[in-house]
Amino acid sequence: MNAPGDLHFISEYILETQIVKPDRKVYVFKREDLRRIFEKLIENLGPSSFYISTIIGTDLKDEGKIRLDYYVVFLPKEETIVFRTFLPRDDPTIDSLIDMFPGALSGECETYDLLGVVFKGNSFLRRGFFVPHEIVEADKYPLRKDSGV
Amino acid sequence: MGVTKVVEIPLALELPVGPQHPALHEPVLLKAYADGEEIVKVEINTGYNHRGIEKLCEKNSFYRDIFIVARVCGICNLVHADCYVRALESILGMEISNRAKYLRVLAMELERLHSHMLINAVMAENIGFDNLFMNIMLDRERIMKAKEILTGNRVLSDYVMVGGVRRDIDEVKKEKIKEILAKTEERLRFYKRVFEEDSSILKRLIDVGKVSREEVLKHSIVGPVARASGVKIDSRASDKYDAYSEIPFNVITRTEGDSWARMMVRWDEALESINIARYVLDNLPSDANPVPDEKKLPRKFPFGEAYTRVEAQRGELTYYVMSDGKSPNPYRVKIRTPSFNNIINTGFMYVGYSIADLPVILTSLDPCISCMERAVIIDLEKNALYKIPIKDLSRGFR
Repeated sequence: MNAPGDLHFISEYILETQIVKPDRKVYVFKREDLRRIFEKLIENLGPSSFYISTIIGTDLKDEGKIRLDYYVVFLPKEETIVFRTFLPRDDPTIDSLIDMFPGALSGECETYDLLGVVFKGNSFLRRGFFVPHEIVEADKYPLRKDSGV
Repeated sequence: MGVTKVVEIPLALELPVGPQHPALHEPVLLKAYADGEEIVKVEINTGYNHRGIEKLCEKNSFYRDIFIVARVCGICNLVHADCYVRALESILGMEISNRAKYLRVLAMELERLHSHMLINAVMAENIGFDNLFMNIMLDRERIMKAKEILTGNRVLSDYVMVGGVRRDIDEVKKEKIKEILAKTEERLRFYKRVFEEDSSILKRLIDVGKVSREEVLKHSIVGPVARASGVKIDSRASDKYDAYSEIPFNVITRTEGDSWARMMVRWDEALESINIARYVLDNLPSDANPVPDEKKLPRKFPFGEAYTRVEAQRGELTYYVMSDGKSPNPYRVKIRTPSFNNIINTGFMYVGYSIADLPVILTSLDPCISCMERAVIIDLEKNALYKIPIKDLSRGFR
């Protein structure tokens, strides 16, 4: 039931399918559909059939985008599926998931402080908990390619 | 007559546990708020050990990064290196020999053994059982010796390399390791029985820090902590990396979900590790030389991205490596260690237990601060003044 092929109920939100080696399926979606996708996953699979393993932000400076990947592990087979979206570099905002999944907290806070992605609705976001204060004062996000860190 | 004066009574006692604290061996601060003896809230503050490893990886070459990631953590250096190296091999499309795969498994299982023994020893020490602590540590030394025989080093082994491992094993070494395994197995069974039968251990651990299956998944908790709550997750069994597809082993789960169950999962897993290590030594294939010629390794990495998982001692550890195909350095390396989820997301687990239970619960999570401290996180609001009724500070409040 939890096989990735059975994720047809979110197919309307999927723009493209890619692969991360070795054999991790990547579903690309629009950033405004994030919460809808996770709501659908809970609705169809139940809240305790998957967990958010990690959130990875990557600065694609040359394309003017920040890529955001949600790595979700589906039980019981433990298949890792990637939900990927692109945020414009000058407006890197997306909805937060912590009200649905408190486990997203560590990933969201980290991505905010190191990369500057704002998760709307996450009240725990703040600068200076990940990076030393001199970098906060210089208003730099260390994982951005042009941060000079 | 209206109210003329309001007397404010402090709701809770603020109790800092750490970063330098007799109950903790690692630099983390658990700011606990207690109502009498009962903990009503815990803030988890870290940030005493920040090293910026992900950025460092972007500034160094693919091959140098193997040594950097192996130094994320002293206890689990081999699994870090293995996970990272497999990501590189994925990007390169490289297959390695079976002998090298088996040797990697052997090295990683020895690491799991000494790590599980260490945390169970620390638990014994934290509940005041110093004699047991010293005995377990003494037996753990044997495993460190076995690791030295195999890899050449007791702690930072730097054993895994792209294309294989750095040293082969001969018959003499095999026999020595087998002897050590036999002796250790006997001791492990004894310690397991102590944890099952000793009344003071049972009183301190049973029903302390209970967490349900649903909470585990909601808070992305991994590893032995998840397995002790009945969540059957194990990257070794699901991803079947290295030689795990060919080696029979059991995924240990329990249903109690308390601190005792987490320690028992570790004892049972240690015994499984002995069986795996023995299987490797008895069935080691000799298909090719496991040590590749470093000069012949590819210098240029093609464009590509890889995401690998490994079951570290503390749970699922993941690496994401991206190569842009142009630079000799990785474009992005993302490390997500098990402690990153297990410690930061578990503030809710302490609520409702007594102050004396706090070190027990923390120890049962097997905290590894150097793993987490690649990035620094503070969990909760920092207000010193609370205007929240105690009722609202119940279990689950963040």
